[in-house]
Amino acid sequence: MPVYTSDALILRTYKLGEADRIVVFLTRDRGKKRGVAKGARRARSRFIGTLEPLTRAGVAYYERELRDLVRINYVEPQSSPLAAIGRVHSDAAALGHSAYFAELIDEWAPEAHADERLYRLGASVIDALAGGAPVPRLARYFEFWLLRLQGVYPQLSSCPGCGGAFDGGAVMPPRDSHYLCRRCVPAGGGTTLSIDALRFLRSAAASAPEALESVSLDAAAGRELETAHRRLIQVHLEKELKSARVLREINHGLHGSYGSHGSA
Amino acid sequence: MARPDPLTKLIEQLQRLPGIGAKSAQRLAFHVLKTPREEVERLADAMREVKDRVTYCSVCSNITDTDPCYYCTHPGRDARVICVVEEPENVAAIEKTRDFHGLYHVLMGALSPLHGVGPDDLKIKGLLTRVGNGGVEEVILATNPNVEGEATAIYLAKLLKPLGVRVTRIAMGVPVGSDLEYADEFTMHKAMEGRREV
Repeated sequence: MPVYTSDALILRTYKLGEADRIVVFLTRDRGKKRGVAKGARRARSRFIGTLEPLTRAGVAYYERELRDLVRINYVEPQSSPLAAIGRVHSDAAALGHSAYFAELIDEWAPEAHADERLYRLGASVIDALAGGAPVPRLARYFEFWLLRLQGVYPQLSSCPGCGGAFDGGAVMPPRDSHYLCRRCVPAGGGTTLSIDALRFLRSAAASAPEALESVSLDAAAGRELETAHRRLIQVHLEKELKSARVLREINHGLHGSYGSHGSA
Repeated sequence: MARPDPLTKLIEQLQRLPGIGAKSAQRLAFHVLKTPREEVERLADAMREVKDRVTYCSVCSNITDTDPCYYCTHPGRDARVICVVEEPENVAAIEKTRDFHGLYHVLMGALSPLHGVGPDDLKIKGLLTRVGNGGVEEVILATNPNVEGEATAIYLAKLLKPLGVRVTRIAMGVPVGSDLEYADEFTMHKAMEGRREV
């Protein structure tokens, strides 16, 4: 049984039997894996506090021939959403976002196929979250980069209709998944992006997540981006993420409607 | 050799239980087959009775065979303090301490974005109604010390504080009888944060 050690992001866990857990994790060098953490649900397990979604950790695991499930030997956390609790975030939606990011990575990460850029994006986002980065901006940044890395983020350099600049904002027409400038957009509305929203995307393209503190995004532009990104994610995954729906419910419960903290 | 139909049916049903695989189900089914009839009937009766008689308390959502439950109706319990837990089995864990004499409220879960569990899936409205009706001075949030439990506690605190009650969170830190050497960074942080004068 070969033993592997790798930097990894914990994405989600499922209960298994009396005291075990199945853990889905994205390794830096060998892609997404599923493994069994024996005894992980026991009160004094060595896995306690290490398997929260979006924990960045060193993971050691055994692979067995012809078995899909690996056996996890140990998990050594390096950065955890648990560290952000109380210290930098005291918002239920902020904590819920770690699950949202983990679900997005899980949906896009290929099984057993290394995608180091996706790993690095996830790792930098958890570090930024634990460091106190503003969560709505971090969420829009993450969605933008995730879709970009998958090669499905619409072109922002020029309008694909006329080749002109997006100098008056952009519109994503209904049933399409690209942006057009306001001159090219057909009648019938669509999802609009203001100049502020486009400015945020251009800054996000050139910034690390830790720098988001200094990148401005007002509530209206944040809502525009959230709507556009939700549509893009739904188009490509052909479903809505569970965590996105729950985050909306949490925000609705706390603020009665879309609050100042944003939803997913 | 073809297996008798009733035995196959029993194995299929046992396999639906959590943690029971095909082999365990077969072993349990053969055990039932070898067990004296009266014993098997006692097991069947117990299973039937638990479904017939055990229900959820209409006040606190704890499991009970009388509604409202024992804790909600006991005159010796302090109705000014409500302890909020995730699952009915958490009530038993707190009762073991014999230190808590208030009432309970069972949420029937915790906020879990990855599993699609949102505020509407939990017994939060009932808790807000109980507190809103008056007479409650403190709500203790005893959800699990993980991201889901913590998010649930923060969410509840935001809803409860405007109702004018004291909202507290159970302490977190190093387990009794353990070794500091093996405590993780987050647990140690919480332990230091919650230190008290001796």
